Amino acid sequence: MTIGKEAAVWASTVGAGALAAQAGQTAAVQDLIKFITGEDETVRGKAWLNAHAVGPGAIAPLAALLSGQEQEVSRAARRAMWRIVRDAGRPGADALRQQAVGELLPLLADGQPRAVRYEVVWMLSELGGDECVAPLAKLLAAPDLREDARAALQRIPGDRSLAALRDALPAAPADYKPALAASLRARGVQVSDVPDAKLVPTKQTKVKPAQPE
Amino acid sequence: MANPNDRMRRRTFLKTAGVAAGGAIGFPHIIRSAALGATGRPGANDRLVTAHIGVGGMGGGHLRDMVGRMGRGEVSVAAVCDADENQLTKASKIAGPQADVYRDYRYILERKDIDAVVIATPDHWHAVQMVHAAECGKHVYVEKPACCTIEEGKAMVKAAKENRVAVQVGSQGRSEHEAYLAHRYLANEVIGKVNRVDCFHYPSPADNNPAPDCDPPPELDWDLWLGPLPWRPYNPRYCHGTFRWILESGGGQIRDRGAHVMSCAMWWMGADGTGPVTIEASGSAPTKGLWDSAVEMDVVYTFKNPDWVLTWSQHPDAGPPPETRREGEPEISRPGYGAIYHGTSGTMLHWGGDGGTWLERKAREWVPPAGAKDVYKSPGHMEDWFMGIKTGKKTIMNIEAAVGVSNLCVLGNISFILGRPIHWDQARQEIVGDEQARRMMSRPQRAPYHL
Repeated sequence: MTIGKEAAVWASTVGAGALAAQAGQTAAVQDLIKFITGEDETVRGKAWLNAHAVGPGAIAPLAALLSGQEQEVSRAARRAMWRIVRDAGRPGADALRQQAVGELLPLLADGQPRAVRYEVVWMLSELGGDECVAPLAKLLAAPDLREDARAALQRIPGDRSLAALRDALPAAPADYKPALAASLRARGVQVSDVPDAKLVPTKQTKVKPAQPE
Repeated sequence: MANPNDRMRRRTFLKTAGVAAGGAIGFPHIIRSAALGATGRPGANDRLVTAHIGVGGMGGGHLRDMVGRMGRGEVSVAAVCDADENQLTKASKIAGPQADVYRDYRYILERKDIDAVVIATPDHWHAVQMVHAAECGKHVYVEKPACCTIEEGKAMVKAAKENRVAVQVGSQGRSEHEAYLAHRYLANEVIGKVNRVDCFHYPSPADNNPAPDCDPPPELDWDLWLGPLPWRPYNPRYCHGTFRWILESGGGQIRDRGAHVMSCAMWWMGADGTGPVTIEASGSAPTKGLWDSAVEMDVVYTFKNPDWVLTWSQHPDAGPPPETRREGEPEISRPGYGAIYHGTSGTMLHWGGDGGTWLERKAREWVPPAGAKDVYKSPGHMEDWFMGIKTGKKTIMNIEAAVGVSNLCVLGNISFILGRPIHWDQARQEIVGDEQARRMMSRPQRAPYHL
């Protein structure tokens, strides 16, 4: 795979030994952050493209860069996190997946910026299991994240995620019940007491039809 | 609202569509009884009444085409709709005073007098709007690619089937004249059994002029434009046209032109309804900027029973140079993409694959011997849709076939994003052996813009 070759090349530029051994993880993370925050666009690009070689230990330091003022640095950090998450979900790497989930879950905490929590919610929608359900369900009460949390719970298979969606429905604000009901219907649950709002038009145009000539 | 004084007569539409089809006019059973004179609907003598959802870009072209048909008495254009008021204003002038204007497509779906909709919104809207239209009993012409996720595609097939509506997807290469010649050439095994098809295309652009997020322009309803996608701030590099280079929306060249070139491949190979068993992609992502679709890309699709290989290659100078056309022959205006078909006794080459499809000379000039097989010749992509509405016959790019082609594009991108091969179970319509990839078969949509 191209990604693997690129990773090897990049690893050699930052010190392959640092990437290979557990003892070197900290140095590898430091190198990754240094290259992502540096001025050189080419180095930054290679750094995020090959971040999966550094592993889940880089997730928290990368998340700290997501809300920064430097647009390209934030973007590179976000993409580096996704590279790690996509690598951690590969078949046969459950320990890596669990490690990544363990790094991601604390980033859902209240004190984290929305930009971080938003990305982490969607990352957990790909990697997460039952251990993620309660923290995600808590976000169903957060107006700026509830749609993303709902999507994640809809995507995570199993009884617990389904129960979390079902349990949230009775106490949800009236304007949010249709969204939760949509997720439940998508999971195969009949919801008869909440109307489906998907076909109800709401947006008015200010444009008038053309006049006859 | 509807303009009954200007409504054209449906009988004329049926007659015209029947003539265009060049065949017998059967009972138009697919136009549901509700559309043929039930309470609140125009009677059976009325012409097909259409509405246009998404009227910029390709949507503008479809609208102009349909207005031309209206001038010839074939259809009536009853409404236009767009989330961008500037585009809506332009479209209203093109459509004429009989056409109502809407920002929200759901007003169109509420109208009982509208029989069919033409959907040419950004890709991330195709599935939701097609499914909603079908659920409201409308026939649908929807731009390609059909869908952005595997689960969207399943919902589209289900909605079309359950509501018995005719759906045509805009991979119009299948209806091109030289596509017919190519299909006939391959069906007669002039190059033997085809065991490999190599599609070529130039790269996707990288965003070399990134811009910060900002407020949307006043004419744009950004919430509605985003629709099913997770909410994000407006960015001038992510809107009309440029959505193509964002994976969650346009999916890059593979989901744009791939939905054309691979559509031809699946049609000509007789492979509609089949799928690959493995998909392996590699490529290069843009290293900066908002756009994230692959710049260069290679995908290998391996099919079994019958065994053949389909490849997608997205590189500079990926394909052969265009042939020189003889005087009077249509020029190859888009030579940067196409495909090479490898048979057991030769090759066949074409360029384009969309509304411009150009076949190499030896295949174009092949004269079928007595007893040669013939293949379906489309009367035109729109005419083929009209025929589907009228007769219930499957359209040439019906929703099942179109979803099959879109799935190739979607699976190629999933493999690219994950950086590993994926395995596909065609019978179950599922990625197997990779839980993360399996979850990526769907992307839950933002309420209320969901399936």
